[in-house]
Amino acid sequence: MTETTEPSEFSNGPVPSDRLPDYRRVELNPVARPFYAYSLAVTGAFWLIVLAAVAWIPRLPFIPFDPGPWSVFAMSAATIWFCLVAWIDARRRGWVVREHDLIYRYGVIWQKTVIVPFARIQHVETASGPIERLFGLLRVKCFTAGGMMADLSVEGLDVRSARRVRQYLLEQIREEGSDSDRTGQAPAGDAQSPDAEESGEHESD
Amino acid sequence: MSPTETQQWQRLAPVALVFLVIDGLQKFIRENLFYFLGAGAGFAFLDWLGPRELFLVVAAILLSFLAWAIIFHRRFRFRLEDDAIRVRRGLFQKRELRVRFARVQNIQLGRPFYFRPFGLVRFSLETPGAAEKEVELPGIPAELAEIMRDRVTGWQAGGMPDDPSTEQEDDSTGSELFHAGSGRLFLHGLSSNQIWVLAGLVGWLIGNFHDRLEDYYREIALVQWLSDAAGPVWLVVAGMIMVGLVILMLLSGLFSIVRFHDYRLSDCDDRLVGIGGLLDQREQTVKRDKITGLTLQQSALGRLLGCWYLIVRQTQSGDQELSDAQTRFLVPGLRRQDHGLTASVTPDWITPGLLKPISLHFRRIFWLRWLLVFVLVLVGLAFLFDREHWSLQITAAGMVLWMIGIQLRWRHWGWQADGDCIWVRQGFLGQQLDVFDLPLVQQVRVTRGPYQRRHDLANLQLILPQGAVTIPFVPMDDAAELANRALYAAETAVTHRV
Repeated sequence: MTETTEPSEFSNGPVPSDRLPDYRRVELNPVARPFYAYSLAVTGAFWLIVLAAVAWIPRLPFIPFDPGPWSVFAMSAATIWFCLVAWIDARRRGWVVREHDLIYRYGVIWQKTVIVPFARIQHVETASGPIERLFGLLRVKCFTAGGMMADLSVEGLDVRSARRVRQYLLEQIREEGSDSDRTGQAPAGDAQSPDAEESGEHESD
Repeated sequence: MSPTETQQWQRLAPVALVFLVIDGLQKFIRENLFYFLGAGAGFAFLDWLGPRELFLVVAAILLSFLAWAIIFHRRFRFRLEDDAIRVRRGLFQKRELRVRFARVQNIQLGRPFYFRPFGLVRFSLETPGAAEKEVELPGIPAELAEIMRDRVTGWQAGGMPDDPSTEQEDDSTGSELFHAGSGRLFLHGLSSNQIWVLAGLVGWLIGNFHDRLEDYYREIALVQWLSDAAGPVWLVVAGMIMVGLVILMLLSGLFSIVRFHDYRLSDCDDRLVGIGGLLDQREQTVKRDKITGLTLQQSALGRLLGCWYLIVRQTQSGDQELSDAQTRFLVPGLRRQDHGLTASVTPDWITPGLLKPISLHFRRIFWLRWLLVFVLVLVGLAFLFDREHWSLQITAAGMVLWMIGIQLRWRHWGWQADGDCIWVRQGFLGQQLDVFDLPLVQQVRVTRGPYQRRHDLANLQLILPQGAVTIPFVPMDDAAELANRALYAAETAVTHRV
């Protein structure tokens, strides 16, 4: 359980809080350009479908009520609004890999910043849907302990940087894992579902 | 039992069948009760079946459980290795499982009354990854279970214990940290939230039985008789509900005594052991370095009765609310003065005197927003009905209660950082105090809404192996400092306890 660092090498004195590295002072990398288009396309397509439904359903013969033209206007406004939010979100979204952790920021109205230390990542995987692949995008998913909500999915990376980030994270985890028996879980377990890793883990040593 | 004997593949004792059938039936009933009774369809079905058919169906279910248990029992094998346990089981699909002792975070030994004459116990292990008990061996000899327990805990300390027998003595002499007598346990049951679940269940059952009960009431003219004697009908009904609640509370208190009877928490060097229970005495062992946090909790009734309980938190995966009710390490019947227990688990965890409150803006914004909502509803209702309509009065009363609720929420939130140790309090009618160490933080999440950005505030969420802890509406600088400290602590931590 304990690292095998020599006592002389290792010190752990208190660090004054103003000398701690501040996560707010780091410049974040913007997301890949195709993510703008992707985000707009997905949001726009969804709301356009809703808009089309609102516009067409009252014209069907067996629908007795007609909400009037204002509903179409309202839906058009919503479509524009959500597309705008998606665009601003894509502009604001950012990620960065520091020496010891990964920072990811997203959200427009509720702005969220998530920081995951490498030492706590249990495994990493990359994933992409068909539309993301069309735009050449890849998500990086990081899993830590702490239940369902502890999965972080970093969106908006192009395939090359996503692969690089994953590779880098895996190396970092391996380094951490090599000098301390962390969880008994093989840190190299990338691109596996948590279940698969778990069932494999009983037999591994 | 010599170590060589324990190395062979072994089977469960025949009495384990009793446990398997009872346990299987319990699970079956728990999972299917609601489907069966749902919407009264079950009763209609029962009416349609005659008593003889009903008997046949029940007999068939019982028999199939017995058959399942027999096959399960025949197929079940386990073997103890130097640093792991191996289990082979499976009805249709054969499964072989190997769990390394180093991964185990929680060991339970159960002694149901029907195992005691045979000197058997139920042994189970839990690992961080699993949502439920990973390995369960119902019905193995007590000595074997104790050897395994000592090997699991001893192994983690860095080697085999030299002699199992000395290790055993060690256990019984471990210093006692806490003892809950029947009185405290009764209070624990009274104040526990389970009575509201029970009350809900009873209410729901009565609702389902309503038609039958109505006839029955009429027959015995109970309400009529009572109201003749005692007063108006609503008073009688309220009185009956009160009597029902009191009966439920007494039952809950008795249930708690049966469940935890003679509860003792002992400190055995590097592990904590909790023992208690009347019909099914349970012994839970937790390695100290697998404890990721503690929760001190008090329900609303517990507040009136001065009753707390302590939960020893460990790495969870999956939906903890569903899974941990059975297996979690709960110390019942604490008083205020027993809070020192936290410090005996980890010396740094000393209950703080004062906690930092969260920002007043929390109260202001929620008051304002909800006031707006209620006023809009009131205006809408005033348009629809006349001013003396009951719905307006109820909404107005609801508004006042809601505002008081927000005040209570705000007043309970509090936090304190003392070195690496963090305390967070939250609550509404009851309260909950969480304590954990910063190096265990898995992720830090900082969220800011528009209002919070205007007032330089943030919600800080620390994700821990046992789940997330949120501190809302803290000044941005405090949140950032705590976040930076948590990250620093996690990234420079020497040990990983997950």
